[in-house]
Amino acid sequence: MKSRIIPVIRKELIHILRDPRSLIIIFVMPTLMILLFGYAITFDIKDIKIAVLDQDRSQSSRQLIDKFTNTNYFQIAGELTSREQIEPKMKRRQIVAAVIIPSGFGRDLVSLPASPVQILIDGSNANTATIVINYVTAAINNYNLDINRNIRIPVQVQPRIWYNPDLDSTNFIVPGLLAVLMMMICAMLTSITISREKETGTMEQILVSPIKSHEIIIGKVIPYILVSFLVASAVLMFAKIVFNVPVRGSLLLLALLSLVFIYASLSLGVLISSRAKTQQVALMLSLVGTLLPSILLSGFIFPIFAMPKVLQYLSYIVPAKYYLVIVRGILLKGIGFQYLYAPVIFLFIFGTLLLAISMRNFKTNLEG
Amino acid sequence: MFKIKYIIRKEFQQVRRDRAMLAIIFVLPIIQLLILGYIISSEVTNISTAICDMDNSSLSRGIISRFEQSGYFNINYYEQNRDNLRDYLNSGRISVAIVLPPHLSENLTNRQVSNIQVLLDGQDANTATITLGYVNMILRQFVEEKQQQYLSIDPANVPHVIQPETRVWYNPDLEYSDYMVPGIAVFLLTIVTSLLSAMGLVREREIGTLEQLLVTPLKKYELLVGKIIPFAILGFVELAIALAFARVWYHIPMVGNLLLFALFAVVYLFTTLGLGLFVSATAHTQQQALLLTWFFLVFMFLMSGFVFPIENMPKPAQYISYLNPMRYMIIVVREIFIKGAKIYHIYWQGVALVIFGGTIFSFAVLKFQQRMK
Repeated sequence: MKSRIIPVIRKELIHILRDPRSLIIIFVMPTLMILLFGYAITFDIKDIKIAVLDQDRSQSSRQLIDKFTNTNYFQIAGELTSREQIEPKMKRRQIVAAVIIPSGFGRDLVSLPASPVQILIDGSNANTATIVINYVTAAINNYNLDINRNIRIPVQVQPRIWYNPDLDSTNFIVPGLLAVLMMMICAMLTSITISREKETGTMEQILVSPIKSHEIIIGKVIPYILVSFLVASAVLMFAKIVFNVPVRGSLLLLALLSLVFIYASLSLGVLISSRAKTQQVALMLSLVGTLLPSILLSGFIFPIFAMPKVLQYLSYIVPAKYYLVIVRGILLKGIGFQYLYAPVIFLFIFGTLLLAISMRNFKTNLEG
Repeated sequence: MFKIKYIIRKEFQQVRRDRAMLAIIFVLPIIQLLILGYIISSEVTNISTAICDMDNSSLSRGIISRFEQSGYFNINYYEQNRDNLRDYLNSGRISVAIVLPPHLSENLTNRQVSNIQVLLDGQDANTATITLGYVNMILRQFVEEKQQQYLSIDPANVPHVIQPETRVWYNPDLEYSDYMVPGIAVFLLTIVTSLLSAMGLVREREIGTLEQLLVTPLKKYELLVGKIIPFAILGFVELAIALAFARVWYHIPMVGNLLLFALFAVVYLFTTLGLGLFVSATAHTQQQALLLTWFFLVFMFLMSGFVFPIENMPKPAQYISYLNPMRYMIIVVREIFIKGAKIYHIYWQGVALVIFGGTIFSFAVLKFQQRMK
């Protein structure tokens, strides 16, 4: 049996190597994403462009403005002379917020208990707007404490950020990329290659040879395991060297547990190819069935706990979700197997179940 | 010119017969609208939290109840032992722990410094930042109220404070979905038109029907136009579905001029169809075409400001994003539908889109002609 699998493996490897372009794209894409997330995409907001309309022009009003300019959260993008200038600036996206200090502000501050300052905020991006409101309130509160030193209450918040102290988004994205990558190679490419043989009619030729159907599948699948391991290690190495992504746990454990995920992904790929008769159908099915869920519902970029309940339940059947727990756990948290057996058991059951279904499908499809 | 009609009809018939194509066109977008719409516009809430109250005073309980009532946090553990927090974080059962130190209330009365420790799972930088923001906000409000209380006890100390009056324009309820969902329409238009046009020609070549088309009396440009127009029409159908979905399902207000947006969409189509055409003239197999298109789309998606705001990026990355046509279209859809922008607010985006569309499309046509020889 062994000797019959090896020629299938060799044939499949030749197929893969004949199309270097696809391989290059598969490798370059995650590299590009790591670069983008490493250099370009950050979540901390700074240099929020604000405009100031100072109708008071007193010492107090200038001190208040200083409170805004002294942090790197704000950047004054223009002094205004009238209210009418605000709206066009906001519509042209030159400013996100405007601070209006009314005339008499300095005088009122001494004589009245409270004097108003108006803040106008462009709310179109609700997330940014919430953060801007927070920063503005903090800056004004800061000023209030300056002029009323007697009301200071010394409570300090001490954040301790674990696992990723610099809040570096690359560290978060790399494990997700590994999962998506393996899914792409193991589920998408295998399902396409098997359905290609069906589409072009070469599957029948193989079937009349003395090879058994499970031998074909094993032979077809092994090269993809190798390729996915190679590409994944290359990507991890790149992330480690260029962005210093931490590897706190055991790489050996990671490799071993990755095998379980690969097993689950391959089973999914084989299941898809047992259903699809053409490459396009296989492509569509693997896009909807493997790639999109691995990106959207795995917690790769969007946190699962913040999703609506229905999507949270749906995420339980996404294998990448479990793999992400494993990869992040080992790379970032440096935890061992005692914390990770649950996702491993799930992936194993998931893979076995799908494989059993697809083996039955495959036989009837091909031989019947 | 008549002949184009026939090739358009052939193209539509093919799409209708092909289940995979139909799925790309109708099922995929609806799944994306449903899932993506909720995922990207969901606020960070239900944060699993542990609170370790080492003070056990009415004051510390007051702080805890603020966290409970904020709506952002799910307090899963009330822990007495600080050492257990590590285990909770390691196992992923919580993503934040708040430690209220002993003598908190005593220190506060004596005006001595108290440190409230916040342990955060920082793996997801974005969520961690937002979580820390919530914690800061809740504690700040608490402190401000305490300050007021002290002042009322001591009337000699009348404070003079500034009160910010905050007004939020365009989206007063701060609905995040108003901002995100229109972007999905652009995203879908981009995916569908570029993917379909990329796969279309490669497929004909792969199964050998392209040669058959070439020996018919069709001229090359007729073939090209006939291939492109159906995808443009489908793109518009897609856009209409997405916008209707945004209106009916997500109740997005959409204040702007629909015709103005349609005009921009037509211009933008030259970019996406040009991209697809270019890929289909380059790729040898459908698999390559898919991977190549996917590659472009990932870049366009990440650098468009659709999910990750461009203003937050470092300057060089912001300059690179100017090379991304989708960036302009995302701005256009938001400005028109949220702020009701008129043409003179966004003409720059229009100019950029015309330049990109013109360049990419002509380049693709050249490549196509080269390939047909």
